[in-house]
Amino acid sequence: MELENNQTGQPFLKEYSYDLGVLDRGYTNRTLYINVGSYKIKEKPVTPLMKDKFIGGKGFGLYYLWQAVTESTKWNDPENEIIISSGPVGGITQYPGSGKSLVVTLSPLTNMPIDSNAGGYFGPFLKFAGFDAIELQGKADKDVIIFIDGNKGTISIEEAHGETSDTHILGGQLTEKYADNEEDRRNIAVISTGSGAEHTNIGLLNFTFYDVRRKGIRLKQAGRGGIGTVFRDKHIKAVVIKFAGVKGNLNHPVDQLTLNKTGIKLHKEIHDLDNAQNRMRKIGTANIIEVMDQYDLLPTHNYKFGAHKDTFKIASDVFISKVTQNSPDGCWHGCSMACAKAADHFELKTGPYKGQKVTIDGPEYENAAGLGSNCGIFDPDAILELNFYCDTYGIDTISYATLTAFVMECYENGILNQERTGGLELNFGNTEASLELLHQMSQGVGFGKIAGLGIRKMKAYLAKEFGADPQFLFDIGMEQKGLEFSEYLPKESLAQQGGYGLTNKGPQHDEAWLIFMDMVNNQIPTFEDKAEALHYYPMFRTWFGLNGLCKLPWNDIAPADNKLTDEPAKIPEHVQNYVDIFNAVTGKAIDKHELIRQSERVYNFQRIFNIRMGFGKRVHDKLPYRAMGPVTVEEYVSRQERYDKQLTELLDYDTTGKSTEEKIKVMRDYRESQYEKLTDAVYKRRGWTMDGVPTVEKLRELEMDLPELLEVVEKNM
Amino acid sequence: MKLLAKNDSLCIGCGECEEACSKTYFKEVNQEKSCIRIKDKTINVCTQCGECIDVCSVAAISRDKNGIVRINKKICVGCFMCVGFCPELAMKMHGDLLEPFKCVACGQCSKVCPTHAIYISEEA
Amino acid sequence: MIKLNNRECEWQEGLTVQELLKLKTFTYPRIIVYVNDKIISPEDYASTIIEDGDKVKAIHLMAGG
Repeated sequence: MELENNQTGQPFLKEYSYDLGVLDRGYTNRTLYINVGSYKIKEKPVTPLMKDKFIGGKGFGLYYLWQAVTESTKWNDPENEIIISSGPVGGITQYPGSGKSLVVTLSPLTNMPIDSNAGGYFGPFLKFAGFDAIELQGKADKDVIIFIDGNKGTISIEEAHGETSDTHILGGQLTEKYADNEEDRRNIAVISTGSGAEHTNIGLLNFTFYDVRRKGIRLKQAGRGGIGTVFRDKHIKAVVIKFAGVKGNLNHPVDQLTLNKTGIKLHKEIHDLDNAQNRMRKIGTANIIEVMDQYDLLPTHNYKFGAHKDTFKIASDVFISKVTQNSPDGCWHGCSMACAKAADHFELKTGPYKGQKVTIDGPEYENAAGLGSNCGIFDPDAILELNFYCDTYGIDTISYATLTAFVMECYENGILNQERTGGLELNFGNTEASLELLHQMSQGVGFGKIAGLGIRKMKAYLAKEFGADPQFLFDIGMEQKGLEFSEYLPKESLAQQGGYGLTNKGPQHDEAWLIFMDMVNNQIPTFEDKAEALHYYPMFRTWFGLNGLCKLPWNDIAPADNKLTDEPAKIPEHVQNYVDIFNAVTGKAIDKHELIRQSERVYNFQRIFNIRMGFGKRVHDKLPYRAMGPVTVEEYVSRQERYDKQLTELLDYDTTGKSTEEKIKVMRDYRESQYEKLTDAVYKRRGWTMDGVPTVEKLRELEMDLPELLEVVEKNM
Repeated sequence: MKLLAKNDSLCIGCGECEEACSKTYFKEVNQEKSCIRIKDKTINVCTQCGECIDVCSVAAISRDKNGIVRINKKICVGCFMCVGFCPELAMKMHGDLLEPFKCVACGQCSKVCPTHAIYISEEA
Repeated sequence: MIKLNNRECEWQEGLTVQELLKLKTFTYPRIIVYVNDKIISPEDYASTIIEDGDKVKAIHLMAGG
């Protein structure tokens, strides 16, 4: 007999009931497995090994993905999984930035594990509903919606009917559908993507939360690595979770008072100092647009340059006038940092939703820099419109922006032309062409279909179809490991080249952002200094992803006396806050050193996972030269004084009478050799071989000498 | 608008108000659970300015028809942003409680104040 | 010549901290300035004169991204 869902009137494909369970010291000690192909649903216990060595969040994601796949699994095989997990600290309501969901899957861009995080309410609700993680495996033969009722203890798989997959519509519809009434909408969180994820490799996952002030859904994104593409390949249209009754003690922490006090301390700090520091509450991450420009770091014209005369048109104050103020804009309860901005009543000028007035979540710095300056677009409304359509189509703004900048450079170089793009005049600065390219991606038509493959596959296509020079494409195509670069210009900072290149998932700056420390402050002058930074910061930042935490409240606000501490860049007081809240929730007694070791275990696990999949070695850590120095004469000449001076001072090279091409070559040899030396130093510091493989001794030292890891490592020595 | 007004110069620091407050709301004598606090003969109490209303992301704080700023405990998720953002430092937290608490100008404390340093004001 | 963040930097008679920051377009709001290891408060930038051979640090507190 087919059961019917009272709320939707649709037949269930599967219904499952579970005991609500107990959330104790940050863990439910149970995870949820759903196979959308076979409709199998089961509960799994969280083992002591998982908690001791993987902590939670992306640690759990990587752990489960390892079990699910083999060396030969591809992203679109049914056995690939999407795992979503918060982490033991996730879901507390007192400390800013404690609502992150960590998502792990095999990426269609990199063919190895990707991890990406999002705000929104899903991760915390999943825990409160009784699960530390959810695994989604299999492939449905028709579009399905998964609904978890965290108060009733029921899970259903339902067939999706008719709805568009574009999130600004679908997310709203599902929020209404599964809420009992207006008051109940705050208890619904939806994960979905959009039509663009169905036709590109750069699909993202949107995580909604209901904004009780605006009376509408807001979106946060797990953007990187094509997770939305995997989601739609599995024919999952949405995962909806409902949980009513959020309170400040649902994690059953051992020490509630410490959580309260530590949270209040940071709330007060933000209240007192944010406006004089980074203005996160006013404008969010976009506060640094003009800062990046002034320090020649704002990617412009596909990372050729670091500044542009028109940057003032997209400076943070321009966006401040476009976003709605005096609205609390945190993406989880208790986030007084409140960086999530929104522009309300924005009238769209193009595309299928032309004329609609919408709320746009943004702009983030990355979007303004990527969709804007990197593509030569200095029109704030165009950036907002591109931002909106990327989000609702389920397209990663960063990959979209970086690959569009690449396409534009190819167009200006004659590798592409109007005939090859099907009429799109993709010069730098052509807003209309960029928007049209995006609309094409949502339908999988025209040149949008090619561009949506991502830079790596596009490079192969351009070489094969049009005979473009592969070396030039490699030099200017800003991807590494298959993932498009995020939006900072790393040319003048060797440490940041490492921060992009010597990473697990590819050139996303969430592991290390060392540009100022290195290039401007000159605090890490030697290879050893840089290597130490490229050990500490990636490990420290990895820890956020194990615990369901956001990075921003760590260093986008600093205590008034931070500058008097011995290591201001680490924000020592905030590091201690994290130690304190972790211990307060879990009852463990870690210190700041054990915190780093917790990360090291998972970091090395991920590295070995990459190696297992055929990647993750030295050869995969190479960078396109555009990330390291001037590729073209135009670039060299634009900063000639700087480059000539460097050649003279660093290499004792007499530049008089030398052609620009000669100087480019000498500069390139030098910079590439510097990167190799850096790589040596970093591998050494991390306890890896010179081929980038973690050593057995390192794994023993970390108590990560698990048989499955040793097997991979020994095979690759 | 109704509020608990104060005149610091009259305060003798006897603490009677704190005792009355914590007894009224928490049935115990405990300065840490009083909405009004006396320190060095200075009175710290909510002015009903309402800055916390906009800070609350779940709209649990609102002004009632008498002008009193009130917390709806049912909606409150215990984030304590309002405590950190209170310009008067008059929004309070206690480890036994999941929600913050504040003065609602009930006047119980003013009845026991021996010097009339605190009193209910109803001026517009 | 002075040292700025441990690199050689042009100097001229009467150079103040404020002028140096302007010259280098150090516009980021969270900078700590040290002259010969002594922290200079922002309100003293205009009146603090840098002498030839001084060691100046302008540490940008941005570990951003």
